[in-house]
Amino acid sequence: MREPRNPFRMRTSEHIESEATFLRLFGPGVLDLLPKENLWDRVQIFRSAPGGGKTSLFRVFTPAALLTLHGFRANEDYKELYQRMRDLGVLSDNGPHLLGIMLSCARNYAMLDDLGFDQSRKDRLFFSLLNARLMLATLRGALTLKNLRYPEDLERVNILAPAYGDFPVHVPVPGSGKDLYDWACSIERGICETIDSFNPSYHEALQGHDTLYVLSLMKPDCILCEGVPIVDRILVMFDDVHKLTALQRQKLLETLFDYRPSVGIWLAERLEALSPDELLAPGATTGREYGKPINLEDFWRTSANSRRFEYVITNIADKRSRLAYDAQIESFAGCLQEFLDGTEWQDRFNEAIKIISERIRTKIRSTKRYEKWVEDREMLEGTPRQRAIAWRALEILIERDIRKIQLSFDFGLPLEHEELEQKESFSVRAAAEFFIAREFNVPYYFGISRLTTLASSNIEQFLAFAGDLFEEIISAALLKRQTILTPQRQESILKEAVQQRWEEIPRKIPNGREVQKFLEAIHQCARWETDRPNAPYAPGVTGIALTMEDRDKLIDPKVRLVHPEYERLILILSACISHNLLEASLDRSQGQKGKTWMILYLNRWLCLKFGLPLQYGGWRPKTPAELCKWLDQGFRPPKKNGGGLL
Amino acid sequence: MKRGADFNNFWKSYLLSGNRNLLYVLGRGFDPRMCIGFGAILGAGGYGVRNCLVIEFDEGPDSPSRRHISLVEKNLKILKNLIQFRGEILTKSVRMWSGDGPGRRRVGSRNAAAVFWDISDLENYTDIVIDISAMPRGIYFSLIGKILYLLDHAKKNDQARLIPNLHVVVSENVRLDKKIRDVGIDDNASYVHGFGRGLEMEATEGIPKVWIPILGEGQRGQLERIYTLVNPDEICPVFPSPSLNPRRGDELLIEYRELLFDQWRIEPKNIIYASEQNPFEAYRQIHRTVCHYNRSLGPLGGCKSVISAVSSKLLSIGALLAVYELKETGMSVGLAHVEAQGYEIDEIENVGCINDQVELFTLWLAGDCYE
Repeated sequence: MREPRNPFRMRTSEHIESEATFLRLFGPGVLDLLPKENLWDRVQIFRSAPGGGKTSLFRVFTPAALLTLHGFRANEDYKELYQRMRDLGVLSDNGPHLLGIMLSCARNYAMLDDLGFDQSRKDRLFFSLLNARLMLATLRGALTLKNLRYPEDLERVNILAPAYGDFPVHVPVPGSGKDLYDWACSIERGICETIDSFNPSYHEALQGHDTLYVLSLMKPDCILCEGVPIVDRILVMFDDVHKLTALQRQKLLETLFDYRPSVGIWLAERLEALSPDELLAPGATTGREYGKPINLEDFWRTSANSRRFEYVITNIADKRSRLAYDAQIESFAGCLQEFLDGTEWQDRFNEAIKIISERIRTKIRSTKRYEKWVEDREMLEGTPRQRAIAWRALEILIERDIRKIQLSFDFGLPLEHEELEQKESFSVRAAAEFFIAREFNVPYYFGISRLTTLASSNIEQFLAFAGDLFEEIISAALLKRQTILTPQRQESILKEAVQQRWEEIPRKIPNGREVQKFLEAIHQCARWETDRPNAPYAPGVTGIALTMEDRDKLIDPKVRLVHPEYERLILILSACISHNLLEASLDRSQGQKGKTWMILYLNRWLCLKFGLPLQYGGWRPKTPAELCKWLDQGFRPPKKNGGGLL
Repeated sequence: MKRGADFNNFWKSYLLSGNRNLLYVLGRGFDPRMCIGFGAILGAGGYGVRNCLVIEFDEGPDSPSRRHISLVEKNLKILKNLIQFRGEILTKSVRMWSGDGPGRRRVGSRNAAAVFWDISDLENYTDIVIDISAMPRGIYFSLIGKILYLLDHAKKNDQARLIPNLHVVVSENVRLDKKIRDVGIDDNASYVHGFGRGLEMEATEGIPKVWIPILGEGQRGQLERIYTLVNPDEICPVFPSPSLNPRRGDELLIEYRELLFDQWRIEPKNIIYASEQNPFEAYRQIHRTVCHYNRSLGPLGGCKSVISAVSSKLLSIGALLAVYELKETGMSVGLAHVEAQGYEIDEIENVGCINDQVELFTLWLAGDCYE
């Protein structure tokens, strides 16, 4: 393949063909996702939207990646990752200590359900296929780890029966790798031919398995190469588990919990949020059989980790930038101008200060309550941008105060400087900055921090937008122009990119037009709430929420019989979530005490499309009935006052 | 293959050469071309039964295509008027989905292969004609594949007293094609039933994969999804050239430049050209490419080849024939496809004018002419 012209276009992990390139582009900070304890001896589920980084995370633990990383351990580009893997006990100077076996569930497992067999036979074929494939992946991984050829060197591997427990006689253990390879191949071939055959009577002879026997062989002392265990530790990784049928997924999880294998088992699946499958099998307990599911986007979105995500992403971006052969770019963030304090914006901000301060003075002319606050602002030093934001924040705080005293009929004493300081929180300033940008046509969506937020904690999404910006950067480099993008140029490129994404929705997504209508309704609701003069949900509303109770009702087939209108709502919500248009977060306890919520934030790119702020935190509770109305009528603001600040 | 005026000449002389019992299979849809082929063949005269099997696609209550129910009914009325007393209208329903709700799967391809269960379903006819003009690709790929399988199997095992001929008819109209758009494509691509066997096997996981997509306009989403499914090591895109619009190849290159050269980083020398209106040339090019890669990669255990046809239906037949034949030789080869949730069509002011611009193609895929 050719050298990458724009390395940001090299997207998902599976499609970066060389291990060295993949590892070079992998951000070591992603490993922060992993739990600190019990990583190697229980079931761990990872969930995210498409492009969240699950497969990349798994790929790092595969034999080829570990060998490559070990080989490059002295190279500057790989040192940090090597050290992190060493700290995990996966690598040392002697080489890999882990056999990571990755198996994708995105193959033809679900098609077993379409065969004309009874359910128990389908279940048995499912286990047969899984057993066969797990064995084949293990053999291939073992040979790779030992730098042997697959399948030519299979005779050099031996698989022993586990020391305890019965093992089915039809599985040729103890046996050589070749024996097990032949056994597994014939099973896989038979089932695949059955699934795909035009001959309807072909499949009668197939046998099935009762359970996932091969897991019992996933022990270091069962897998030997020339009589010696190949590793100290084994990790089995099932990717794309959401592509199994609901029943297959349930069977797999039940088996994993029943088996209690003494190896690490990781499962990666897409977050569906409206699927009862997200409930894990009954009888399994967190801590013992499995670790609490890790939602990748939720992990990065917490305040403790959002800075870390920015660091990881910036690191990935810099690595990609350095790969571009047409331009010498060391730092991607360095090409994105971050400030609006230059001379070209001073007049705009000065005008803003004039207009806002006059507005405030007009509003408060009949009271002396805010005299000291206004004085404070007049004396404030700083750039015109900083002062404009301060004035706008003052306007919000005054509005809030006016509403409070109107309710209490307390026209109170003049307010002190200190009170202004206390009330002027980060969120109020953020709201002020956003309102100024809108009112005075100043760029808002620019800089590496905002670009990172725009990614919605999704690495692939970041790469898409960064790729568009990088296209401009390398074009400038080719034309020997300045490679630093101004804030307005960044915003313009990003707006074009999101507009294209918006227009693709009807083509790419099932029920796309209805999805757009629903998102537009969320936008109108968010806009109405955000634009309130007192900015009650500063810096703004960018999502909605359903109680977990309502969510459970939505997915309950019995409730849907009584409310058939919920079917359409589920279809639209599912499409929005599975296509990462809405970011779903389950079991959040915020707001009213005792209630837990399913929060649905607009993907941040939609916030750019709709001209909403990018911060999280502002959402409004809704009921299924209200959302069903939105599907038909769109959002209608309540009759009482609100909205329309500008 | 015959086209245009030759189409009519061929069918006239063919049907007048003896008593021919025809089963004409078409898809029930809103496409104004649904009945054109059948009308032309009926108009060619001749003696024998002229049955018509209408395949109804059950796309579920939410299919966007339901918006055009009036056009569908109009087509059915035309069909009834055409057939009169020449034969029967038979119907078969093909369920496209495994169920309802977000967890449902595509089963249309598998169900289409079950339209004809075994050779006895076809024995009463001398000719089976599949009109793919108003049929989704995922349906006719499996349907034609299954019929070819039944015919070959019957011939090999001497199973049937009469093995029918198989023809495919396409009504081509590029202007009309542009007025019909996919609405919501499936999240995931898949291998067409009957054409995916060895491609997803763990046993052959390390074997290189070659993807040969035949390109058409406005299919970026489809190509991305198929790419995710196949995860190829080498890509050989097929550009329709020569074509009626001499700049078509350039326009496709511009449309897919970023995808082909930035994301997938293909080598320009991998590009293949196949005539837009000659599926047999596409067949030859694909056949040659697959054989070449298998030979070159023989020391590595061969390769797996995946073809996808996100182009005109005419070219897709070439892809289907190549895959079917190569599969029969034992090569690891398949057809990858991604379906649309439904379709929508722009207002057509003058249907008659559109119909005048249709060019009919007929391809004789199996039967007497190959003996």
